[in-house]
Amino acid sequence: MFNRSFWRQFDYLLFGTVLILCVFSVAMIQSAIAGNEDIADSVNKQLIFVIGGIVVMFVVAFVDYRYLASLTSIMYIFSFLLLMGIFIIGSALYGSARWFDTGVILIQPSELVKIIMIVILADYFAKTQNQPKNLFWIAKSFIMTAGIVVWILLQPNLSMSIVIFVIWFSLLWYGGLPTKYLIIFGIVGLVVGIIGFNYLEPYQQERILTFAFPDPNARHGNEFNVEQAKISIGSGGLFGQGYGHGTQVQLRFLKVRHTDFIFSAISEEFGFVGTLVIIALLLFVVIRCFRIGQSSSDMFGALIAYGVGTLLFFQMAVNIGVNLNVIPVTGLTLPFVSYGGSSMISLMLAIGFVQSVSAHRHTT
Amino acid sequence: MSFVGSNNKKVDSWRVFLFFGIMIAVVLFYVYRLFSMQVLEGDNYLAAAEGNRVKELSVQTQRGIIYDRNGFVLARNVAAYNIVITPALLPEDEGSTQKIYRELSKIIGLPVNQGDIEDEETVRNFTPCFNDLGIAEIVYMGTTNAPFRPIQVSCDVDPEIAMIVREKVSVWPGVDIEVEPVREYPTGQLTSEIIGFLGPISAVEADYYEELGFVTERDKVGYSGIEASMNEELMGLSGKRTVEVDGAGQVIRDLELPIAPVPGTNIRLTIDTRLQSAAKTALINEMEFWNRRLPEPQFNNGAVIAMDPRTGEILALVSYPTFENNRMARVIPGYYYNQLQEDPQKPLLNHAISAEHPPGSVYKMAAAIGALNEGVVPTDKKLFDPGKITIVQKFTPNDPGVPIDFVCYTYKDTGAGHGDVNFFEGVALSCDVYFYKIGGGYLDEVPDGGLGVLRLAEYAKALGYGSETGIELFGEGDGIVPTPAWKRRNVGENWSTGDTYIATIGQGYVLATPIQVLLSFATIANDGKQMKPTLIYEQLDNEGNVVVPFSPTMTKDITQDKVIQIFDEDGLPTGEYKSVDPWAIEMAQEGMRLAVLDGTATNVMDGFTISNAGKTGTAEYCDNVAQEKGICERGAWPSHAWYAGYAPYEDPEIVVVTFVYNGKEGATLAAPVVRKVMESYFELKAIDAGLETAP
Repeated sequence: MFNRSFWRQFDYLLFGTVLILCVFSVAMIQSAIAGNEDIADSVNKQLIFVIGGIVVMFVVAFVDYRYLASLTSIMYIFSFLLLMGIFIIGSALYGSARWFDTGVILIQPSELVKIIMIVILADYFAKTQNQPKNLFWIAKSFIMTAGIVVWILLQPNLSMSIVIFVIWFSLLWYGGLPTKYLIIFGIVGLVVGIIGFNYLEPYQQERILTFAFPDPNARHGNEFNVEQAKISIGSGGLFGQGYGHGTQVQLRFLKVRHTDFIFSAISEEFGFVGTLVIIALLLFVVIRCFRIGQSSSDMFGALIAYGVGTLLFFQMAVNIGVNLNVIPVTGLTLPFVSYGGSSMISLMLAIGFVQSVSAHRHTT
Repeated sequence: MSFVGSNNKKVDSWRVFLFFGIMIAVVLFYVYRLFSMQVLEGDNYLAAAEGNRVKELSVQTQRGIIYDRNGFVLARNVAAYNIVITPALLPEDEGSTQKIYRELSKIIGLPVNQGDIEDEETVRNFTPCFNDLGIAEIVYMGTTNAPFRPIQVSCDVDPEIAMIVREKVSVWPGVDIEVEPVREYPTGQLTSEIIGFLGPISAVEADYYEELGFVTERDKVGYSGIEASMNEELMGLSGKRTVEVDGAGQVIRDLELPIAPVPGTNIRLTIDTRLQSAAKTALINEMEFWNRRLPEPQFNNGAVIAMDPRTGEILALVSYPTFENNRMARVIPGYYYNQLQEDPQKPLLNHAISAEHPPGSVYKMAAAIGALNEGVVPTDKKLFDPGKITIVQKFTPNDPGVPIDFVCYTYKDTGAGHGDVNFFEGVALSCDVYFYKIGGGYLDEVPDGGLGVLRLAEYAKALGYGSETGIELFGEGDGIVPTPAWKRRNVGENWSTGDTYIATIGQGYVLATPIQVLLSFATIANDGKQMKPTLIYEQLDNEGNVVVPFSPTMTKDITQDKVIQIFDEDGLPTGEYKSVDPWAIEMAQEGMRLAVLDGTATNVMDGFTISNAGKTGTAEYCDNVAQEKGICERGAWPSHAWYAGYAPYEDPEIVVVTFVYNGKEGATLAAPVVRKVMESYFELKAIDAGLETAP
């Protein structure tokens, strides 16, 4: 495996770009701490997560992704049990049982499961690519996905559930979903969405409602956070107020600025130019994933790479959308930049899979 | 390596392109939005960020201190300690917070849980410092209102308790001690009618005071007394700080040089607290002395004012009953305020300056001076008082009229009058018939209708009746000096001849405030020079330097200034004016001297070593209060007691007026109070001069 063909086919541009984003992430979190004692150790932790993530990425990349196809059943059972376990015994934090508290760090298994689902679904759609693309084919993939997502929904974690369904749908799409079903799904989705809203947890409903009908008097809570995010972004101007000099960030008007709203922090300190660079870097990572998918030797590899590319874009689009106040507040992170161990390791794992697809494309 | 089921079939390119299309659309939209927010509207957002960061703080200033003329403090600021909790700074976990509540509860004695905050009424009426809630409930109210603002849990706590809590502040996050300046009035009820009290800035005035840098929830303004009338001077100027704050509202640093607050001007009053105390005590004791002899208390409100006639300095100003202004120092308690409002004796009304009552015989001095100055009668001309005279009441010159009896006050007791009396005896004995005759004329004895109502009004106004005296207190009454024009306008009836007789003795339509009566006597005592009554001796800055020194203001000198309007025979103004002959004033002084030596005030002033002069007044009245009580009996109406006097007679230094509502005899109820005030004044003067009266 440690042969020359691996290193020749390893995607250095992808790795390099991800590395730049990770280094930038550490620097940005340093600025975003802004004297808050509670999150002061985030920089060192994030550095460890980045290093750990790179190790994970290389280990996974060395392994030929084709081996994974035989492990999907085990992965599925593992994910199922993991999520069921956390639902039953998980500690109740932030009103939802999303975390495993290891005593040192909190692990969010659904982040890991999200990546595993890409592999599982890619395997399913690759193996069934020659079967008729009928409702049964769709339903089977849906039930597979739903079997996992149900536990995440119960946590309750709506945004992660949506992410996994997006992964499912995108792979379904790349796998050859006939257009007529797309239209039917569109209609069904709309109806289910309206009915489903009533079954959401109150705080989830509230998030959607505050987004749709903002309360002008609200000073605390999401509305306040989003308003401060807008001010942070806008006050950045063309070139930003400079690293460590954004008043919204440094005086802590911007909340959750090292995680969900780190994009706003970047916008304030680096301005329009800075945000364009970050968006360009992230887009480049997505495009590299699709390039790798395109050049992969089989459907499985292609779907893994497309799946990861789509996931990265979706998370980036949602996170920036929240910052720009064009979509409701969700807990989705900005890939490679937001603080968070589970997110960082999972995304590195995903890049590892993609690198594996790239590095092992001509080994057969 | 070979894997089952894998082959080289790829994903349709168009499916990927469609995704790329969506991706490009989303990114372009975001870039457009970023461009519009950051580049196009960047300045607006930058301004909003500045608005977040930069705050202007008002720095509380110190209200001026009020002293009496000897430097004795009448109003000052003291520190009150409040225990406050900032909800946002409390520990995250409920357990630690509860622990803090329990420990704090033990120290301050306020239960952790008390009251129902589900009750809408309680929530709406919630006032920090004044509620029946427990610590947890108060903090909950604070959390919902403004979690970063400290909320008062317990107010005005004992300094010792504040010290104990202060030591715990470092281990109890969120708990703190707030020091609030509270007005304190060391003399309380003794001077509350002069000093007044403070209250919150009202919604109406909020804009005005906020413009000046004051904070409606923090700063207070005067509501009555000197606190209100001198509010502008006392308030000072708030300081200003432009600071940078963080997201939690904490001040990080000053962005500009802070503007220090300017403390309010200190005010030294003309009041002598010792004399004030003597006057108030004398009035209360006198009323109680007589009340104890009656089946039910009859004498319940009154006023005493003492002034230096030469300068207008008010030395004592008593309005009884009054209120306890210390009870309103922090907040005006609703129940106490209502109680004061509903009290029939009107403690919130300053009786000395605001209450308008018929002045009775003290008003005769206006008629006396007028009659002499107009040459109605020579001073030695004896007029006969049979006890009762009958005159014809006419409403128009051609009215055939109705005969009415006018009696002297002696008539109802003795059935006789004073006999022959000259001017001095008329004043000294307060002979009503003498004044009827000179005021309204009587047959051939006093021809041509005597002084007449128009000229009487001129002299009354010259002495100070009918207009505000200009004392530095709000709510002064202006009284009524009735004239035919006034009666037509206000009563809708012609002036009758009888009205003139009644007005001459200060009854009927005549109304005056105690301070107007005081001013009229001060003007006579000071030989016609009328000084504006004042409570303000001088204004001092924070370091004790005089910024506005005392300077007496002479309103007019009636012997020099032409203040008396001249009328022709038909009672029409000629447009010409004249002054008062000093001789007329001198004669009036002699009349009042005789009242003390051999007249209505002889008994009460007996043994008073300092020469003095004065005039009693017993003013019959029948106001709404008396009507409700059913004591308005014709021929035996209730009456107010008045006495106004000054001393020493030769060179007056003090003029004192006493008024007792429903006080019957002026000589009995009011005059002894005046005597005591005068005695106290001279005793204090001797003490101040270092001459102890007795070893």
